[in-house]
Amino acid sequence: MEREMSEVDQTQSDGHSRPSASTAGGSGNGGHLAEVEQAFVDRWHDNAYGCFSSGHKFCREVCPVTQVTRNENHTPTAFHSNVVALEKGLIEVEDVADDYVHCTQCGACELRCPNTIMVGDFYRARTETVKVVRAMRALMVDKGLDREGWKIWNRLTDALKNEPVLGVEGDHPNGQEHVRDWADGLDIPTGGETIMFVDCEAAFYRTSIPRATAQLLQLAGVEFGLMQEQWCCGGPAAEMGYIEQSRAFAEHNVADWRAIGAKRIIAIEPHDYVHFTEDYPAYFGEDFDFEVVQIIDLVAELIRDGRIELKHPIDRVVTYHDPCRLNKRKGIHEAPREILRAIPGLTFKDVDHVTQWSYCSGGGGGLPIEKPEITAEISRRRLEKASELEVDMLVSACVWSERPLSAAGAEQGIEVRDIIELVAESAGIEIGGSTRGDSQPVGSAES
Amino acid sequence: MTLAATTIDSGILEELRAIVEEHDAVLTSKSSRLNRARVPAPFPVHRWEEFVPDAVVLPRTAQQVSEIVKLANRTKVPIVPRAGGTGLADGAVPLRGGIVVDVKRMDQIKEVDLGNNTVTVGPGINMQTLNRQLVRHGVMFPDDPASYACALVGGRIGTSGFSLLGSRYGHTRDLVISFEIVLPTGEIIEVGDGGGRKVRKSSTGYHLKHLFMGHQGTLGIVTEATLELVPRAEVEFAAFFLFEDFDTAYRTHRLLACSGLATLAGVMLFDSEKVAYLRRDDEAYIEQPDWVQAVAAASLYGTRAEVEPASKIVMELGRSLGGKYIGDEISSGDWSARHDRYANPLHGRARDGQVVPMSWHCEDAAVPYSELPAVREKWHAIASRYVEQYEIFDDWGMFAYTNGAHKPWGDVLAEIDMGLWEERLDEAGWQAFISLKREIAQTVLDHGGSMTACHGATRAGDAELVPQEMGGGWDVMMGIKRLLDPNNIMNPGKQSLDRAYE
Repeated sequence: MEREMSEVDQTQSDGHSRPSASTAGGSGNGGHLAEVEQAFVDRWHDNAYGCFSSGHKFCREVCPVTQVTRNENHTPTAFHSNVVALEKGLIEVEDVADDYVHCTQCGACELRCPNTIMVGDFYRARTETVKVVRAMRALMVDKGLDREGWKIWNRLTDALKNEPVLGVEGDHPNGQEHVRDWADGLDIPTGGETIMFVDCEAAFYRTSIPRATAQLLQLAGVEFGLMQEQWCCGGPAAEMGYIEQSRAFAEHNVADWRAIGAKRIIAIEPHDYVHFTEDYPAYFGEDFDFEVVQIIDLVAELIRDGRIELKHPIDRVVTYHDPCRLNKRKGIHEAPREILRAIPGLTFKDVDHVTQWSYCSGGGGGLPIEKPEITAEISRRRLEKASELEVDMLVSACVWSERPLSAAGAEQGIEVRDIIELVAESAGIEIGGSTRGDSQPVGSAES
Repeated sequence: MTLAATTIDSGILEELRAIVEEHDAVLTSKSSRLNRARVPAPFPVHRWEEFVPDAVVLPRTAQQVSEIVKLANRTKVPIVPRAGGTGLADGAVPLRGGIVVDVKRMDQIKEVDLGNNTVTVGPGINMQTLNRQLVRHGVMFPDDPASYACALVGGRIGTSGFSLLGSRYGHTRDLVISFEIVLPTGEIIEVGDGGGRKVRKSSTGYHLKHLFMGHQGTLGIVTEATLELVPRAEVEFAAFFLFEDFDTAYRTHRLLACSGLATLAGVMLFDSEKVAYLRRDDEAYIEQPDWVQAVAAASLYGTRAEVEPASKIVMELGRSLGGKYIGDEISSGDWSARHDRYANPLHGRARDGQVVPMSWHCEDAAVPYSELPAVREKWHAIASRYVEQYEIFDDWGMFAYTNGAHKPWGDVLAEIDMGLWEERLDEAGWQAFISLKREIAQTVLDHGGSMTACHGATRAGDAELVPQEMGGGWDVMMGIKRLLDPNNIMNPGKQSLDRAYE
C-alpha cells in the first residue's frame, strides 16, 4: 500500500471540485502575505480546511510528541489551523516556528484522521500533515527562522556530505574519507546493477547494521556493490526544511548511480526508503527510473526462498518496535513479523501494528537535534510498554530509532537490537562493527 | 490584522508562572491562544480573534489549579477550563478572554482498584488510552462516545456526556462514581452521591455529584475522577435492519427498545434524509437498494451465555414488522466503525452540488419517543428553509438513539445533523446559523423535550433558551451559580448565567 507522495510537489491536489482558495471568499486575506507565505497558503488551503472544519482531533492521542508535551500547540490539528490563521493574517510564521519543530513526521495523525479513514478516497480529501510540517519548515528556512540546532546540523552535513552523527562539536571523524570504514574486510565491490545504500547513522554510528546486511546478502548470493562516492541521502535536510540542500544531495547520488550503471537500490533504512520512493521521484519526475527495495522485504523473501538459513537459536524473549516510516508511512509491517517468527529459539510477543500507530522512538524528523528531552521521553515510554510485556529485548528495524531506544533500554534493562543483526546472528555470521559509534563489538553495547 | 499581543496584566502572568513552576506551562503566544479558541462545533471563523483567551496555563496538580483559580477570583479574570476541546457545543470556548486552564497534563492513572472495581484518574486522560491500560486486568471503563478516541474525562464530566453503550452500562454521570473539583473560589472538594470516593449510592446529604456533573465549566474545574470498571464484555453483537419507510423503522425501534433484554447497549434509528445523505456522501456506505429509506439497529454487550440467545430475539423483533437484515458483515463493520463514522461528516454539498468541506452541527436533543415523528418533520422543514435561503447549509438527516441509562425505552437522543460551510461564513451567515439552532431547539421545547442530551446549552441559539427550559428551576440555578461563583469568573457568558449577576 504505497502512498502517492511528492514532498515538494507544489501543484494543487487534483480531483477536488471545490473552489480554489482565491475564489472561495471569506479568506480575509487582504494582500498581507509575502509571496512565499502566499504560495504556502494557496497550496495548503484546502487541506487545512478539511481539518479545520471538522477539528475532531482523533490525531491527538496517537501523536507521540503530544503524548509527551500535552500541549495543543503541537497537535496536527493546530498545524492545520495555523494555515488558516496565517491566511487570515492573524499570525506570522515566526509566531508558530517553534510549534512546527514538535513533530517526528511519523505519519500516525494522517492514518488516524477520520478524513483519511472514512472519506479519503471518495473526496480525495486525505489529510496530509507531514507535508505541511515540512513545507512550514521550508518556509522557516526561507525566512531565516530555522532553528539554531538544525542550522548547524545541516551546515555540517553540507560540508561533510554526511550527517554529523558522531557529534557536532570538535573534530568530525565522519565524512567522505570514512564513509566506507564500516565495510572493512568485507570485500564489497564498487558499482554494479544493485547498490546497497548505507545511511549516515548506520555508516558511522551503528556499523553493525550495514555489516550484518552486507554479509547476509553475500551469504544469500545477492550481488551488490557500493557507490563510488556516497553522500547523505538528503532526507533529513528535507525533513528539516532545507529543500535545496536535499535536492543537491539527491542529484549527486543519482548521478553516481547512473555513472556506475545502477538499476536497483537497496535501502537498508526506512528513512532512506521514504526519501527514495517519495522525494526523489518528486525531484526527478519520470526520469527517476530506479527500483528501490527495502531491506526488510528483501530479507524476508530470501528467508522464505531458503537462500538464508536460520539455524542458530536465539533464546531471547522479544517484542518488535514498528518503525514509523515502515509501518505508518509505508505499510510494511508483515515482513518483519515473518522474519522474527522464522528465527529459531526466539519467543516473540507481538503488539499489533495498528496499536503501534501511537508508538514512536522520537528519533525522526530532526526532533532529537532540537528537542532531545522529548525524544528521550518518547523512547522511555516506548520501553515502558515493552517492559509491560516482560521481554528482555526490543527489536527494531530502523537505525535512527535504535540510538534513543537503546538509551532508554539501558535504564530499564532491556536490550535493543536491529532485526537484521538478529537474522545475521541466527545465520551464523560474525557481524563485527559497533552498535554505538565506537569500537564496541555488537551485542555488548546494551544492558 | 494580526492578532494583538496579550493584554493580561504582567503581574498576573508572573503569579501564574510562580504557581506552575514549569518553563512551558504558562503560554501567551498567538498560536497558543488561537488554538484554544475553538472546538469542533461550527465556529465564527471570521471573528476568531474575539474568542481567544489572554493566557493558557497547563497545570499538573489540583493544588496548582486551586491557586490559579484563587488568583483569578481575586483579580476577577475569567477562567475557562479546557480538556480535550472536542465538544460539539461551546463549553470550552472562551467568550470573555481570560485564562484557559488546559488540563491535558493531568492525565495520570492514579489507582486501579480491582477489589472495588474503580480506577482513579486525572481529568486529562482519554478513554481509549485508559482502556488500553486496563485490558490486561479484564475490565473496561465503558464510556463510549463518538469521540471515544479524542475526548478526555474532564470534558465528559463537564458536559455530562452520552455513551453509545449507555443503555447497557450507563452514561458518564452513571460511570463517574465521584470526582474532585476546584470551586470558583479555589476550595478543593470531593463530590459523590454522598461521601466516600468509591461509594455508588448514598442518602447522607444532597447529591452533589449530580449538581456538578455537566457543569459546563461554570462551577469549577475537575481535577480527579474515580470511575466505574466493568468486566470486559465477552461478546458484542450488532444488527442493522432496513425499511421502506421511516414509520416502520420507528415502530421497530420501540419493539427493540422494549424487548427487556438486559444486554441491550443501544437501539438506533436513521431516517430517510440520513440514509439519503449516507448514500450520497459517505464513502463507507455500502450500496443498498433504492427502496431502503430508514434503518433501525440494535447492539448487545455481555457474556456469551446472555448475548447469544438475546441476539435471536433481536433478529426476530427486527424483522417482525418487515425489516430486512443487512447481513453480518455490514452490521459488525458498521458498528465497529461507529467512532469514525460519527466524525465523518466533514464534507457536504453546496446548493449547486459541489463538494465542500463543512463543519458539523449536531443537534443533540432529548425527545420523548412519542414526539419524535412530529419533531422530525418540523426539523427538516426548518432545515430546508435555511438550506434554500443560504448557500452555506446542508441537511444531513436525523439519527436517534435510546437515551436512558439502563432503560432503553422512552425518550431518545435525537440529532439532526447540519453541515455548515465555515469557509464562506460572514456575519449574516453566522446569525442565520444561530437563528437556525434556536428554531430547532425551540421545537424540542415545544414538544416537552430537552434541547441538549449531552453537548450542553452553551452556544448562542441555545443559551438564551436555558431559562425557558429550566422553568421554575432557573432561579435556583442562578442562585447556586451566584453562591459558588460570587464574581462570575468561571466560564462567564455560558447558558445565560450572566443574568444571575444582573
